[in-house]
Amino acid sequence: MENLLFGIGISALAGALATVAGAAEDTESDIGSQGDPNSQVQLAPQMGYIHRIYNKAISGEPPAYGLWVALAAGIAWALMAIQYNAILALIVGSSVAVFVQGVYATTAYLGRTASLAKFEQPVYIDVLKSVTTVTMAHAFVAVFTTVTMCFLMIEALGHPFPLPLMGIVWGIALGAAGSATGNPFYGKERQYQNYPFGAGLPISASGDIVRYAEAGQRSSLDNGWFTSKGAGPASGICFGLIVFFELWRTVLFEPLVAGWGGVIAGAVLIIVFMVIDRFVETWARKTYGPYTKETEEEATT
Amino acid sequence: MAPKIEASAGGMEHGKMLAIGLIGALICIYLVYLNTLMSTQVFAFFGGLAAVIALWWGTDSIKKLCSYGLGTGVPSAGMIALGSGVVAMLFATKLAVISPLLVPIGCVVVAAILGAILGFISDKVLNMNIPVMTRMIAELTVVGSLTMLGFTAMVAGTFSFGSLILGSISVMGLAIPSYAASVIGGCVIATIFMLGAIAIQHPFNACLGPNESWDRTQMCALECGFLSMITVAIMSIVFLSFIAVVISFVVSIILWGWSYSELIKLSKRDAFAWLDVKPIREVGGEQ
Amino acid sequence: MSALGGGAAGGEGINPVASVIALVIVLASVGIVFILYPAALIPLIGVIIGGVLISFGVHFVPVGGAPAAMGQAPGIATGVAMLAAGGGLAGLFGGAWAAGHGLWIALGAGAMGGGVLMAITCLMVNVVYVFEMGIPAASGKVDKDPITGDTYPAYRSQGTEGHGLPFISYVGGVLGGILAGTGGTLIYLQLLAVYQGAFASWVGITPEGVATLAVSLAGIFAVGMFLVAAVLTAYNITGTIEGPHDPKFKRWPRAVIGSSAACAACGLVAILLVVI
Repeated sequence: MENLLFGIGISALAGALATVAGAAEDTESDIGSQGDPNSQVQLAPQMGYIHRIYNKAISGEPPAYGLWVALAAGIAWALMAIQYNAILALIVGSSVAVFVQGVYATTAYLGRTASLAKFEQPVYIDVLKSVTTVTMAHAFVAVFTTVTMCFLMIEALGHPFPLPLMGIVWGIALGAAGSATGNPFYGKERQYQNYPFGAGLPISASGDIVRYAEAGQRSSLDNGWFTSKGAGPASGICFGLIVFFELWRTVLFEPLVAGWGGVIAGAVLIIVFMVIDRFVETWARKTYGPYTKETEEEATT
Repeated sequence: MAPKIEASAGGMEHGKMLAIGLIGALICIYLVYLNTLMSTQVFAFFGGLAAVIALWWGTDSIKKLCSYGLGTGVPSAGMIALGSGVVAMLFATKLAVISPLLVPIGCVVVAAILGAILGFISDKVLNMNIPVMTRMIAELTVVGSLTMLGFTAMVAGTFSFGSLILGSISVMGLAIPSYAASVIGGCVIATIFMLGAIAIQHPFNACLGPNESWDRTQMCALECGFLSMITVAIMSIVFLSFIAVVISFVVSIILWGWSYSELIKLSKRDAFAWLDVKPIREVGGEQ
Repeated sequence: MSALGGGAAGGEGINPVASVIALVIVLASVGIVFILYPAALIPLIGVIIGGVLISFGVHFVPVGGAPAAMGQAPGIATGVAMLAAGGGLAGLFGGAWAAGHGLWIALGAGAMGGGVLMAITCLMVNVVYVFEMGIPAASGKVDKDPITGDTYPAYRSQGTEGHGLPFISYVGGVLGGILAGTGGTLIYLQLLAVYQGAFASWVGITPEGVATLAVSLAGIFAVGMFLVAAVLTAYNITGTIEGPHDPKFKRWPRAVIGSSAACAACGLVAILLVVI
């Protein structure tokens, strides 16, 4: 019983850490402009819209976070192997990973922007100086919480994977969850906020991103404020739920039904989430209604 | 709507880069073997240099491949290269049972065979029909495996399987052999895997655009490699003597600092303008 | 992934000669293992089946790439290989944890690991679209949902190919996660069995050493082969797909052939590691 309570407590703690990680990850990627929405930042100068938005083209978020977390885990593992205190090792590991992240971010901004000289897009050094440090700070939160979570899974729950391998697995999962949930909010709502709300962006409008702010010119730093209103917490909930349910179903149900309990619990969870999704989808169809009047033919066939 | 991918013309011929990359990386990996010959660990940093040279060559291969447009991002090419490269590289380290000198060559041969199979599959079976695909995926797999072999040699000071699986932990001053504290047992390989996977694709991915220039992209490749070397040097603290770690670390830091400042100079040269706290220049578009 | 999207070649149809060569590669790999190390024959077949499951599963995952991030196309706004890797590696995590309960339970745990990740991710994608952006889901490839019968043409906003995750894509995502999770776990478990068997016979190795090394090697190889199979599949569907109802879904046979050959070759090398 005590073991079970301990396991559930660790699951909850890991879930909480994952929630913080997911929220920080999405905020970081939006401030730096990483992943798919960045294609528009890249495209804008080509369409004649010079801007002062950061351009952090370090692959997609899943591989990038795979590296940051695996690197933090690798260095933390190395320091722990020479008898460093675990907490200190995790902090030092995350710091080194974030240093690498910052250097990659600057080379991506300089590289992409310098390659846009044909379209007269200048390199803004003050953008580089102010935004890089802020993305590094958010990345530290995301990386440190994820690598701590991995450490807990190994030390407290007894997962067989060594720390760096665990770092790859959950780093890629973090990037996948954060980019899937967060990208549309940044890509449509933030970059194209002058286009009608409640509709997708017409393909012909690509590249016409918002470049001016309430006062002066838009800085990528404001994306942090914007993301934290919506997609950031949503990404956090997404990754937090994934980690919590993944651990919870194993810790609590695995001993039941000759080991099949965890599998059955997983299947039940999938069906529950599917029903919720169907509810969300029909709610939107009913509440928002169609964009154009549905023709009789479409309604009957 | 995605921007068109254009690869810069000019620069060094690809065949020449292949030769420099392959031979340079092999020589540097063999230099790590001096550790075994002279019973020391201070030559470990040559492994990192081998990885950097391989990455320098791989950047050009990825550029040749991705200028055709794969339908998915540049990073995927890096992941497939390292995903198959890790298999070839770990297999090759086991060849040390026969002779340690077989390892680097075996690594190249096995990776080339695996890469050719993967390239053939993508080109012909999946109907991508990209003329250079088979060759470039084979090259990238070799680069991926050499990068991993180089960084592994740097972190452990050796590249034979027997030494990679057995580390030691010190308990109250006594060194106790431990499988969990080894390169493979602790899966430091996993970190090296991701370091290579990002470093191989980042230079071209970061510099692509209409004004991409050969020397800047290649300098970015060196910079990514040296940056990875710094972190590998930190991790080698488990396996190498203090003096060897310091040498690796100092070499990496100096080379990284040089390449980073060169990269900034080249970016400054290529950029349209280099502005500090200046507003947007309107050139058209929104009036 | 990043700024790259269109411009891909990717012709239709199967190249018969190349497919036969790929199948010969599979048979040759199996034959070599049968001669050199018969104990690993079943594991190699397991690895090949794992590659097939991954490759088939990735076709189900609805990925919209860059256009999805602007609500211009339906699907999840990230790279296909990496999204599948997220699901598959979460499955690997679950499967590796349950490895002590035997093959079938571990496979089930791996499948549910991938499925739960995709179920939650797809749900949150729709939650963001509906509650934060006010956009209902609409498919671009079909006018009527094959499962629920919802009509879509009127729900596509002007100038787009649809947006969000319609229910068929949601189901596809979950199925893809389940298949990819099962495939990744299968590769891991088979290699784990090979290494545990081989290392145990070494002189002077401790049981703890056998376990540690086998887990690490099988884990990193499973990650590597997973990425190979997933990227090959991403090449096959040229970046984006909407789910099982997308016409591109019909291309799956050639990706399955390709991935089986790739995993056979990689699995052969990984198994030969213990032979020499």
